[in-house]
Amino acid sequence: MADMTMNRRTFVSGSLAASALAALAACGNNAGGSGSAEGGASGDKVIKFYINNPVAIDPYNTQESEGTQVEHILFDALTDYDWDKGEIVGKAATSWDVNDDATEFTFHLVEGAKFHNGDPVDAASFKRGWERICDPTMTTPSEIRYHLDPVKGAAEMADGSATELEGVEAVDDLTLKVTLTAPMADFPYICAHPALAPVPQAALDDPESFLVAPIGNGPFMMDGEWVADQYINTVRFDDYYGEPAKIDGIYFSIQKDPDTAFREFEAGNIDFTSVPSGRLGEVSDKYGVSEDGYTVTPGAQTLTGAEASIYYLCVNVEDEVMKDPVVRNAISLAINRENICETVFEGTRQPADCVFPKVIDDDPSNTWENSHYDLEAAAALLDEKYPADADGKRDIQIKLSYNSGGGHEDIMSIIQGDLEKIGITVTQESLEWAAYLDALSDGNYQIGRLGWIADYPTMDNFLYPNFLSTAENNYSKYVNEDVDKALADARQIVDDEERKEAYREANRIIGADMPIIPVMFYSHNHVGSERLSSFFYDAQGKAEFAIAELA
Amino acid sequence: MLRYIARRIIQFIPVFLGVTLILFVMQNVVPGDPIKLIAGEKKLDPQTEINLRASYHLIETDENGAPIFDEEGNTIETPLWKRYISYITGLLHGDLGRSYQQNGKEVTKILSQKYPYTFKLAVVAIVLESIIGIAAGMVSAIKRYSAWDVGVTLVTSGLVAMPAFWFGMLQQLFWGILMKQWTGGGFYLPISGTGGPYAEFPSWVYYILPALTLAAVSTAYTARIMRSQLLEVLNQDYIRTARAKGLSRRAVIWRHALKNALIPVVTYIGMDFGGMLAGAILTETVFNWPGVGFETYRAISQRDWPIVMGSVTVIVIVVMVINLIVDISYAFLDPRIRFDGSNNE
Amino acid sequence: MSDNTTQPAGEQAVEQAQAKEFSAAPSRTLWGDAFQRLRRNKLAVAGAIWIILMVIIAISADLWVPQTLGNPTQTDSTTMASMSRLPPSLEHPFGTDTLGRDVLCRVIYGARISLAVGVLATAISTLIGLVMGALAAYNGGIWDTIIMRFADIFLAFPYTLFVIAMLAVIGPGIQNVFIAIGVLGWPSIARVFRSAILSVKENDYVDAARAMGASDARIIVRHIFPNSVASIVVYATMNIGGAILTESALSFLGMGVVPPDPSWGIMIQDGQTYLATQPWLMIMPGIAILTTVLAFTLLGDGLRDALDVKMKDA
Repeated sequence: MADMTMNRRTFVSGSLAASALAALAACGNNAGGSGSAEGGASGDKVIKFYINNPVAIDPYNTQESEGTQVEHILFDALTDYDWDKGEIVGKAATSWDVNDDATEFTFHLVEGAKFHNGDPVDAASFKRGWERICDPTMTTPSEIRYHLDPVKGAAEMADGSATELEGVEAVDDLTLKVTLTAPMADFPYICAHPALAPVPQAALDDPESFLVAPIGNGPFMMDGEWVADQYINTVRFDDYYGEPAKIDGIYFSIQKDPDTAFREFEAGNIDFTSVPSGRLGEVSDKYGVSEDGYTVTPGAQTLTGAEASIYYLCVNVEDEVMKDPVVRNAISLAINRENICETVFEGTRQPADCVFPKVIDDDPSNTWENSHYDLEAAAALLDEKYPADADGKRDIQIKLSYNSGGGHEDIMSIIQGDLEKIGITVTQESLEWAAYLDALSDGNYQIGRLGWIADYPTMDNFLYPNFLSTAENNYSKYVNEDVDKALADARQIVDDEERKEAYREANRIIGADMPIIPVMFYSHNHVGSERLSSFFYDAQGKAEFAIAELA
Repeated sequence: MLRYIARRIIQFIPVFLGVTLILFVMQNVVPGDPIKLIAGEKKLDPQTEINLRASYHLIETDENGAPIFDEEGNTIETPLWKRYISYITGLLHGDLGRSYQQNGKEVTKILSQKYPYTFKLAVVAIVLESIIGIAAGMVSAIKRYSAWDVGVTLVTSGLVAMPAFWFGMLQQLFWGILMKQWTGGGFYLPISGTGGPYAEFPSWVYYILPALTLAAVSTAYTARIMRSQLLEVLNQDYIRTARAKGLSRRAVIWRHALKNALIPVVTYIGMDFGGMLAGAILTETVFNWPGVGFETYRAISQRDWPIVMGSVTVIVIVVMVINLIVDISYAFLDPRIRFDGSNNE
Repeated sequence: MSDNTTQPAGEQAVEQAQAKEFSAAPSRTLWGDAFQRLRRNKLAVAGAIWIILMVIIAISADLWVPQTLGNPTQTDSTTMASMSRLPPSLEHPFGTDTLGRDVLCRVIYGARISLAVGVLATAISTLIGLVMGALAAYNGGIWDTIIMRFADIFLAFPYTLFVIAMLAVIGPGIQNVFIAIGVLGWPSIARVFRSAILSVKENDYVDAARAMGASDARIIVRHIFPNSVASIVVYATMNIGGAILTESALSFLGMGVVPPDPSWGIMIQDGQTYLATQPWLMIMPGIAILTTVLAFTLLGDGLRDALDVKMKDA
């Protein structure tokens, strides 16, 4: 079942069920290989943390959860999202100002901050980092330039017509001014993304080594290079400008899959890992369940907190059958979400009733009208246009498409069973991830499955990239001018509460059309060791090592 | 001998070109665009996509590496034959290109990290296979129709009929999970991975189960070939003559029969070693073994063609070299074989 | 694996047949004798019985399985939670899977898929192999070179990777599985058939037939084919087992049969997740594969001995 989370590299973490990257140290060179590992992190206060092999830990291309996990302790971005307060706070920036229409942001940087090599962290280092992301002449250009899309000049730099990021200006050493092409009040949330970090001159001088041993401004620094498929070792950075970390370092143990990692956890070799499918009950009994779902403390070590991500069925609204909203609503009503969460996920995941996961916004008005389980209502909806014959069958044929090997088979078989109950004929199409993406992009499907993990914990990030009629990720081919307008308007609202209300309204319009069918919200299923006396793992799946404590 | 080797290498060239060409054609017909796949379901913006294609030379670029556009402002795809030629040229310079999905990492680097695992595992498996297989086959042939013989026949038939991945999982279940339960954690074996700095066991322990799994089917074949060959040789006239001359059965078997019976066995084992180097995808998958077979399988799924091309290229060459070595070793085992031009093909 | 070294398997059988009766047609006594010999081979008989049993069960499944064990694919979300992953019991001899379906029922329906893939894939590869082998051997010259080089290219590919790549191109699904396995299996059988023909071709009676004006096709069909049929039958029988194993591996990797259809490989893959807690989920379908493939191997071995086909084990 592996990890079903959808991220930019679903493939690595999810879709090869028993796979992804394997590995650890080579046989014979065990002693040699561990030399550097034990050199820096030999103290007791080292957390051994399970990850898959990342795609990149250099910020210019940090994208999936595994790379982010490592990169965000090596680098501090301008801002950070505070899950306790539920708001954005400063990190490498102490404060910022915004103009009235949310197109100009001025960040004031922390004084005296240093990179791991002693270079000062100044406004120019941010400009440098951001320009690397837009630079098309990098050996492998960044794949995540979209983060900087709102910034003026990003497009020009990417197509080669500019060599500098026009919208980013180092006013002085500690003042960074960013100009956007269009209003976006949520921009400080984007600045919290770990990829938008500052880099020292060394990143330009020696990009090859920066890929495997990046030099950042965060509370921890690299100890040696990233050994692909084996480990990444980090130690505390003693010249850190903020509160110094309480642990000596983190040893990222690169394992191929959660099953292997969990066995190493049971053997006492890993401090934090995910729990393999089917074993959460047993693990909860043995290690105790965390009260808030996010913090590991001895005796309350199992995490089940909700995540900022959603699993949904994506509907091709241009399809002959699926273009009828009645059919979409009936299907939504016929799916027993509780049962999926219960049988396949041991009750950890929560049935989804709208686009926003509860940790993003839990306003009760968000719930879509037809996102609950009600077979009779589903049948009643269909009766008029699609009457059932003597066998209870209706004239509706649907194909469920999904990527094979990602643990979606069971979910799709359950949904098939549910839909057959209201007389819909269902077949499944299980494609390779590559072929599946093709089918989605070409609109060559009826109902597919997708997941969405927030890049930034904003409501905008769940709507704008997916439901705007011109958005790249609008796989449903959903077009609603009201939604387009509502989303564009909402971005300009500077007041937090008003802006949220605007997004809720957009969610309601979308819910009435149902271009996607929400299925469930993801949850943590992780467990920590008894050594962790306090360890916070946030709703986006980032471990807060800087405040972690070891017994 | 040298002429024979040269001839074999020349014969190999069209096969090699054929294999790489088939892969190149496959790239073009298989669904799934590797560059689009980099970003997964969160699509790349069009400009980034162009920049990436240019950096991998999938579209025509000028001398500065900037993409060239046609009159309508579209990029120009580099034709297949051009890419094929530059691949072969790169290959001759030891350049296998860069991975699409691993942030542009060089394929040679990736393969040089994966091959040691595959190689070491294959060596262990081959040693197991040779010792157990040949011994079992000999016993079986010498004590024909004994309980030993029946036992060996049944076990080998069973092993051959089992999916290797299932056999591997049974071993995980028995040695890793059940043993741990039964002995209360006193004795059990690691069931996946290869160890590492903080690992539970010394590294060599991690080889036991995957090597046994990888060797299982081949051991069965080795035993069967050994048995049938030895039986056949023992029936030959010269063996009967030797026996008639008064040599002991033991002496006949050890001095005469064994050497001749071993030739096909050695052939099989040699070929098998080549096959194992091609990567035991299923064994590597079940045991999380970071070898080249699994890497290639994953690369196919991810449409990471440079890795697929690179590893298949290496595999094909390695297998050819091994076949050649096997053939040459005949000369030492069987003096009747000479490598003159009249070798039958 | 070691196809390269396999002796021309047809030769011996052909010589045998000629020794018995100097006639072009297959002798009745050859097959009659073979059958008598096969009957005395207990293991082969056991294999044959098991295969027949599986075929009967697979064909008749619709008549009795749904009534007793339930539907192999359908799920019911209202009762699922209480039916999920039950251990083996009288009611569910092999237990139930995550979605509450009876595992025995799925194993029985899985037999349909495995047998179909085994037989059809083998039929495809045998057919292509025969045509290619005949073309190469009978025409000789440039035809021979091209076809055999082509076979070399196919054999140079690591087999499993090739099948996977092929399925990536044509997509998953049961029909594509047997096409991929079938199409990629031809070179070995082409080689076997080619050498069989080459050895027969030189015989006097072929010359005689040609002198009497028989067409090439007629010579192949009437004279050469019957004399190689024994080796082809043996080869094909063994091949079915191999195709079943390949199918299970592909489904295990998620590239074969599409859910919810019950393939044994898919069932093992499902079960892998629960290896530590509900091991029967992966054990039962594995036993089904083991026994079925074993049956084909034993029958193939028996046929080989009975027909006196000379084949190396590999």
